[in-house]
Amino acid sequence: MKLNWEKFYGWIDERLQLQDLVNFMGKKYVPVHRHSIWYYFGGVTLFLFIIQVLTGILLLFYYKGSADLAFESIQFIMSKVQFGWLIRSIHTWSANLFILSAFIHMFSVYFEKSYRKPREMTWVTGMLMLFLGLGFGFSGYLLPWNELAFFATKVGSDIIGAVPLVGEELKIFMRGGEDVTGATLSRMFGFHIALFPALFSILLVIHLLIVQRQGISQPLHLESEAENEIKKMPFFPNFFLRDLLLWLLVLNILSILAVFFPSELGHKADPFASAPEGIKPEWYFLFMFQTLKYFPAHIWFVEGEIVGIILFGFAGILWLLVPFWDRKSSIGKKNRMINYIGIFAVMFIIVLTILGWIS
Amino acid sequence: MKQTLMLLLFSLLNFGSLAIYAQIEDQCLTCHEAIGDKAAELYKTDIHFVKNISCTACHGGNNQLDDMEAAMSKKEGFKGVPKGDEISERCSSCHSKSEVMKKYNSNLPTDQIELIQNSVHWQKSISGNSNILQCINCHNAHGIVPVSNPASPVYSLNIPATCSKCHSNAIYMRSYNPSMPIDQYQKYLTSIHGMKNRKGDVKAADCSDCHGSHDIRNSHDVKSKVYPINIPKTCSECHSNHEYMSSYNIPTDQFAKYSKSVHGVALLEKNDLSAPACNSCHGNHAAVPPGVQSISKVCGTCHVLNAELFAGSPHKKVFDEKNYPECETCHKNHEIVTATNDLIGVEKGSACSKCHDELSNVEGYKSARTMKQLIDSLDTRIAFAKKLVEDAEQKGMEISEAKFKLRDAAQSKQEARTVIHSFNLDKFNEVVKGKGLTTTSLIIVEARESIDDYYFRRYGLAVSVFIITGLAITIFLYIRKIEKS
Repeated sequence: MKLNWEKFYGWIDERLQLQDLVNFMGKKYVPVHRHSIWYYFGGVTLFLFIIQVLTGILLLFYYKGSADLAFESIQFIMSKVQFGWLIRSIHTWSANLFILSAFIHMFSVYFEKSYRKPREMTWVTGMLMLFLGLGFGFSGYLLPWNELAFFATKVGSDIIGAVPLVGEELKIFMRGGEDVTGATLSRMFGFHIALFPALFSILLVIHLLIVQRQGISQPLHLESEAENEIKKMPFFPNFFLRDLLLWLLVLNILSILAVFFPSELGHKADPFASAPEGIKPEWYFLFMFQTLKYFPAHIWFVEGEIVGIILFGFAGILWLLVPFWDRKSSIGKKNRMINYIGIFAVMFIIVLTILGWIS
Repeated sequence: MKQTLMLLLFSLLNFGSLAIYAQIEDQCLTCHEAIGDKAAELYKTDIHFVKNISCTACHGGNNQLDDMEAAMSKKEGFKGVPKGDEISERCSSCHSKSEVMKKYNSNLPTDQIELIQNSVHWQKSISGNSNILQCINCHNAHGIVPVSNPASPVYSLNIPATCSKCHSNAIYMRSYNPSMPIDQYQKYLTSIHGMKNRKGDVKAADCSDCHGSHDIRNSHDVKSKVYPINIPKTCSECHSNHEYMSSYNIPTDQFAKYSKSVHGVALLEKNDLSAPACNSCHGNHAAVPPGVQSISKVCGTCHVLNAELFAGSPHKKVFDEKNYPECETCHKNHEIVTATNDLIGVEKGSACSKCHDELSNVEGYKSARTMKQLIDSLDTRIAFAKKLVEDAEQKGMEISEAKFKLRDAAQSKQEARTVIHSFNLDKFNEVVKGKGLTTTSLIIVEARESIDDYYFRRYGLAVSVFIITGLAITIFLYIRKIEKS
């Protein structure tokens, strides 16, 4: 058996020079410190993205992206297709875990200040992927064409329509018209399976290439230590195997969630029906949705909702550009303000999400 | 007897003196009588004349002056003949004021004008100058007598003819509502109410008993006494009054029974306007109890298929021969309740068992027993299928197709309940077995598969978690091994 594997590996290596890649990875090291655990969330996010792609492709075999057939095709997947229910449930759950993992990864990078020079582009590409991930969630939510999805998309796109200057045009572009219709479904389907994956893949390649090129960032407090005093582990096989171990655990969690809490389908969307009570967006939009509720109808002469949207937009841009305005971290100095802002942001998201959930 | 004669004498003297007083004092009457004015002649029979209310009350002027020009001058407030809405205004100037009415010892209500203003008649006439109806159209202008006086146009026996003056006039009615029938009076004359009215029975319902008098509203108006939901209550005002109906020798529990019936609950509790009210079976203006042989036709106006099947069934001929009241024989009349399976079969209390017994009517007895067994088995199977579907659904399984088929099964049951009116076992079998039981079997299979799949998923999960965890442990041990070395 061993002989066969060696022969097979030798055959491949002869053609692809795999050993060079193994040697390259073997020379790569990952810093070991008390915060090393956060390094794994990048890998977990990547793993969940791969699952998304694989299950998404399988769903595509049966899904029909039109208002007349979408709901029925999902119904067919859930009831008739062998393991269709499992594929859809894993797709839905891994989407949620993907966003959660991406948020954890983003905040760990933020608190470790790993975005500092020279890793600004890694941060920016990562942030853009997170925004795209939210876009994946929003566009994918409508695809089953059920009641909840229909009205949540209506509410969500209405909020986008309130963005000053470009909001109305953006809303019409998203909806493919004035209202949420079959045209919106086709558009969202296009975004979800073509445009967003293409953009995401480009950003992912750039992101991973930069990480490989620059290596994994180490915390500020280790920078002062001599290179040979820093504890490290080889990327391959040690870190890679740990990554693999975590991926298997995530796969277990995914399977349990998919079996015990399979995705529901609800009722088919009816544009003429009144909106069901308590329409809420997906949990990752909930903090923004809930915050907008607390804004008064008018702040001076501007609508409260518009002020809220502008503030969120402004906060998002500031967050995206954090490597460029956090000068202290870039020159290796401690910046407590960044920690305070980060803690505030985390607390804000958690509290508002809980409030939105229970309201 | 003596007391009665004294009272009569006193009354005659009293009224006579008033009349003489009015004749002596009222110069209007003196002159108008002299010129042979018919109004003056009628006025002498008028209740207002009796109550010493002179012409000036309505026409203005001064009835004490013998100079005609002075008496009918503007200075004396002469108003002349009131026209249009002025007429009702003049009447209401006294009849709406209780203090005025009390002066004349009247116990008449004072809300007539208020009521008529909300009625269908208080709309602009086609001329647009006044409302359609004024007091005098029903009560006359001169010679007005109390409602209880047989000479009054609104005396119970005269009301149908009074109303029909307009309502049977095709030319007049089409100016207002071309689609409104004008045969109400003709129909009324053929009704029990109309026939009794013609015979002088003032207790028999006339137009005002059902439609109201001053407050007559359009039958589509929810406040109308003949709005579908209000009809049973309107009819029951007389028909549930035991004392009032005692002379007619008919039951007075129709409303109580109807209220509990499937029709009554639908109409009175669920406000379902498609449910039948009294008039749906008895007719409205031509109200009579339906004849024994026409009951299935009356019920069949709504229950079309049941009626058709019954008409083609062997029961029709037998029922007619035995003078059985068709549908009513099994379903009763006013207290028709939701039909259950217990209505058929051979058990005690079932409708079939009234005629079919094991010894005298073997074939019918067997059919009734088989039909009951079949519909019971369909019920049981549907309930079982429903339970399985609910179980599968509760387990989170996608089972919408089976749920949809449950509707088909329920539909088959409904169809079976209709087909039973053909009293044909083969046809009944075709529906219950051919459709109902076949569909429920399919549902049961699908639901069971879903439930099995639910457990398969859990076992599958256990196996996959075991394998993945085993793999994870292997990797963990391998990491420890390479890191030790």
